[in-house]
Amino acid sequence: MNPPTSPSAREQEELVYAPAVLILSQDLYPRKLEIVREYIQNASDAIDAFAAVSDIIKDHSEAVIKVSVQGRSLLIFDNGIGMDGDEVSKLRRIAYSEKKAGQEAGYKGIGRLAGIAVAEKLKISSTCYGDPELHHFEFRAQDMRQEISENQRRGIREPATIVINRHTSLWSTPIDRKDHYTIVEVRGISESCPELLDGKALKEYIGDIGPVDFSPEFTWGVRLSQRLRQDVPDYSPKTIYLSMPSGDRVKVFKPYTDAMMVAEPEYIEVLDPANPNNTLALCWFATKGQQVLDRIRPAGKIFSVEGDDSRDKKRFAGLVYKLFGFSIGDRYLPVRTLWGQSFPRALWFTGEIHIIDKDVVPTTDRSDFVETDSRKRLYKAAERVPAKLNKLAQEISNNRKAYEDGDRFKQKLETWRERLRSGKIEKAELKSIRGELHESLSRLRQRAAKCTDLDVQQFDKEVQKYAATLQKELDEAKSSNGDTSIADVAADLNMTAKAKKVFQIVMDILADHFADDPDAYYEISAKISKALRKKY
Amino acid sequence: MAEQRETVFHTNRNKDFLRGEFDYSHVERWYRMRGKRLNYLGLPAWEMLDIISWEKFLERFTTIEREENQQHLMFLQANVQDVEHRLYSLYGKFDQILLTGRDQYGRRPEWPYDVVNLDYFGGFLYSDLSRPKAIKKLISNQVDFQRSFILIITQHLRDGDVIGAKAAFLDDLRRSLKSSVLESGTRDAIDQIIDWYGASDTPDSMRQALYMNMFLRDTGEAEHFDVECRPGMIYSGTGNASMIHFVTDFRFRPGVGHKTASKQSLLELVDLGTLEVRDGAFVKRTLRPPRLSSGND
Repeated sequence: MNPPTSPSAREQEELVYAPAVLILSQDLYPRKLEIVREYIQNASDAIDAFAAVSDIIKDHSEAVIKVSVQGRSLLIFDNGIGMDGDEVSKLRRIAYSEKKAGQEAGYKGIGRLAGIAVAEKLKISSTCYGDPELHHFEFRAQDMRQEISENQRRGIREPATIVINRHTSLWSTPIDRKDHYTIVEVRGISESCPELLDGKALKEYIGDIGPVDFSPEFTWGVRLSQRLRQDVPDYSPKTIYLSMPSGDRVKVFKPYTDAMMVAEPEYIEVLDPANPNNTLALCWFATKGQQVLDRIRPAGKIFSVEGDDSRDKKRFAGLVYKLFGFSIGDRYLPVRTLWGQSFPRALWFTGEIHIIDKDVVPTTDRSDFVETDSRKRLYKAAERVPAKLNKLAQEISNNRKAYEDGDRFKQKLETWRERLRSGKIEKAELKSIRGELHESLSRLRQRAAKCTDLDVQQFDKEVQKYAATLQKELDEAKSSNGDTSIADVAADLNMTAKAKKVFQIVMDILADHFADDPDAYYEISAKISKALRKKY
Repeated sequence: MAEQRETVFHTNRNKDFLRGEFDYSHVERWYRMRGKRLNYLGLPAWEMLDIISWEKFLERFTTIEREENQQHLMFLQANVQDVEHRLYSLYGKFDQILLTGRDQYGRRPEWPYDVVNLDYFGGFLYSDLSRPKAIKKLISNQVDFQRSFILIITQHLRDGDVIGAKAAFLDDLRRSLKSSVLESGTRDAIDQIIDWYGASDTPDSMRQALYMNMFLRDTGEAEHFDVECRPGMIYSGTGNASMIHFVTDFRFRPGVGHKTASKQSLLELVDLGTLEVRDGAFVKRTLRPPRLSSGND
C-alpha cells in the first residue's frame, strides 16, 4: 500500500497494520502487573474528574476503586465520571486519548486496552451521570491474536482498524440515569501471568505504585501523609479496595509497615535553582531501622524486608519517583538519573520523590520522563538528594560503628568484670587484657569523635568510663588492695622461679599467637589453668 | 453507593413477593436457626435480586452463570451493591459443575451451603435428566459435610418430560402409598388420588408439584436428611411464563440407618397440593386435588 500524498487523519490511522497492535500492547508491559497500573490510573483520573462535578450534581458518594479477582478474570471498578457512548466507542481506536498532559495521570489512551496482551477478552462497561444507558465494549483479543498470526503466515496484511472492528463489539443497555461508573474485566487471563490473579501480589503492587495513602497503623504514616498533603498540590490518595480470595476486602495502603523497621523519615525539598520559591519536587526518605538505645535508629545497611530471596528482600530499597501519586519507573530510575555512581548507598534508603513540576511528563510506558528542559531542570535540582543522602549514609555508618564498637566493648568489659569478681582472671592473662582494653578504648574514642548521634556519643562516654573503672579494679586486684583478686596458678602450684618464668613465656607466646582472637586466648588460658590445678 | 437508585431490572410482582416475603422469611428462619450468616449457592440472574434481598442473612455467595455477558454484568452489580468481595462466581452450566465438581476455569464450589436457590431457566425434566442428577449430587455433597440446608427451586412448568418420568413416578407413588397403609378405604382413596393426578385434564402443575416434592423427599431421605416439603407455588413470571416454586428444608439426621424417615408423612406430602401467587399475593385456588389425610386445609 502506497501512502497517499496528503493523508487525512483517518488514512494515517489505517496505515497501522494489525500486527502492530499486538506488538504495541505486548512490548509496553514487560512486567504484566503494569497492566493493573493502567486501569488504576484510568480509574483514578475518572474519580478526579467526577470530584470536579460532584458538588454540582449533589452526589457525595464515597469515591472508590475496587479491584477483585473472579476465576481467571481481573476486575477493576470505579465510581468516577464514567464514559458516555461516544467515549466507549472510541475504545476501538488504539492510542486515542483526550487526556491533557499536566492534568491527569495517564497519557496516550493505550492504557484502556492494556489487558488485550494477556487475556482472552477485555470487557468494559461504563455509564456517566445522566446517561440512561450502560455502554458495553468487548475486545476478543485471543481471537484477534490467532487471526493475525494466521494472516501473517498467509501473507495477508490488513489495516488495524478493520481487524479491531471485526474483533470488537459495542452495545448499550438501559440503566439508572444517576449511575456513574466503569468496570473493566480482563477475562481469561493467560496462565503465564498468575500474578494478575494473585491477591497478595496485587495488594503489594497497587500499594507500591498506586495513588494510595500510608497505612494508619504505620508509625510514620500519619505524619508523612500530612506533609505530602501540605506540600504536594496533587497529592490526593484514592480509596482502593481489594477483594481477597478468602472473601475479605482490604483497603490498599502503601506497603510500609512497622514490621519493616523503618527509621524516622526525613524530607528534602528540591527547589528550582533559578527560582528558589518554586519547589520542583518533595522527597521523603527513611532508612532501615534497628532498635538502638530504646529507639529505632538508622541501621546503615540496604533497606530490606521479608522476601523469598535476596532480590525480593530488596524490592523497596531505593527511592521512587511519584507523579499524581503514581510511580514512574522503578527504584533504579532515581539511582540511574541522580546517583550515577556509588549507588549502593542509594539502596540504604527507601522513599518517594513526589514531582510537583507539572511540566515534567512521563513516557508512554511510564518507565521514565520525556526528555525535556523541565526534566533536565528537575534532575539537575534533584542532585542535592544523592548529595544529602550520601553524606547522611556516611554519618549513619559512623554512628552505627560508634554504637556497635561501644556495645561490643561494653560486653567485653562486663565479661572481664564478671571474671575478675569471681577470681577467674589469671595473672598470666593480665598483659593481654590490658593491651586489649587499651586498644578498644582508643578505637572507641576515635569512633565517638566521628559520631553525630548525641545518644550514641553519651553511650560511648559511659562505656569509656566503665573501661576506666575496670582498669582501676584490675590494678587494685593485682596489688591485692581491692575486694577482688587475681588468680595466680603459678603461685598456687608453688612453681619455682624458673618454672614461673617458663609458664609466663608460654602464656605470652599464646597471647601473641591469638592476638587477633583474644577470646580464644582467654579460653585456652582458662583450660591450661584448670588442667594444671587438676594435675598438681 | 446505590441509594435511591431506580430499578432497571427484569422482575415482576409475583416473583418479588416470593423472593422478598415468602422466601425471605424462610431464609431469615434459617439464619436465626444457625445463629450466623449463611453461605449461599444459587443461579441468580446478573441482577442478583435474591442475594440483595437476603444480603443481611448471607455470608458468601456462590453464583453459577453460564452466559459470559451476564456474568460480567453480575460482577458489575456486585461492585455497585458493594458486595463484590463476598461473591464467588463460577462460570458454566449448573448441572455440569455439580456433576463434574468444577467450573470452566477449574474452580470448585465452596461446599457446604446453607441456602441453595436454583432459579432455573426452563423446566426440570429433560431427556438427559441432568437436572435431577445435579440435584442428587448437590444433596450428596451436602451430606458429606453433614450440613442441613434450605433448597429453593423455581422452574418453568413446561418441561421436556419426553420419557414419561412423571407417569412412571405416579405408578411408583401408588405402590409406595399402598404399601404404607392397610385400610382398604384409604387404599381406594389412594387409587382415586393417583388417578386424578394422572388424568389428562388435571393441570400439569399439580403433577409437577407432587413429582418435585416426592423427588426431593426421596433423594433427601436416601442421604439421611429429614425433608420438609411445602406446596408448590404457581405463578405467572416474566413474559407470562408459568412458573412453579418450591421451598424445602433438608435437616441432616445423624446416626440413622439406611434411610431417614421424614417427620412429614408421605400422606401429608401428597396432600400439600399447590398454592397460587397472583398480583403479588397468595390467592385461593379453585382447583384442588382430592385429599388423603383428614384435618383442615
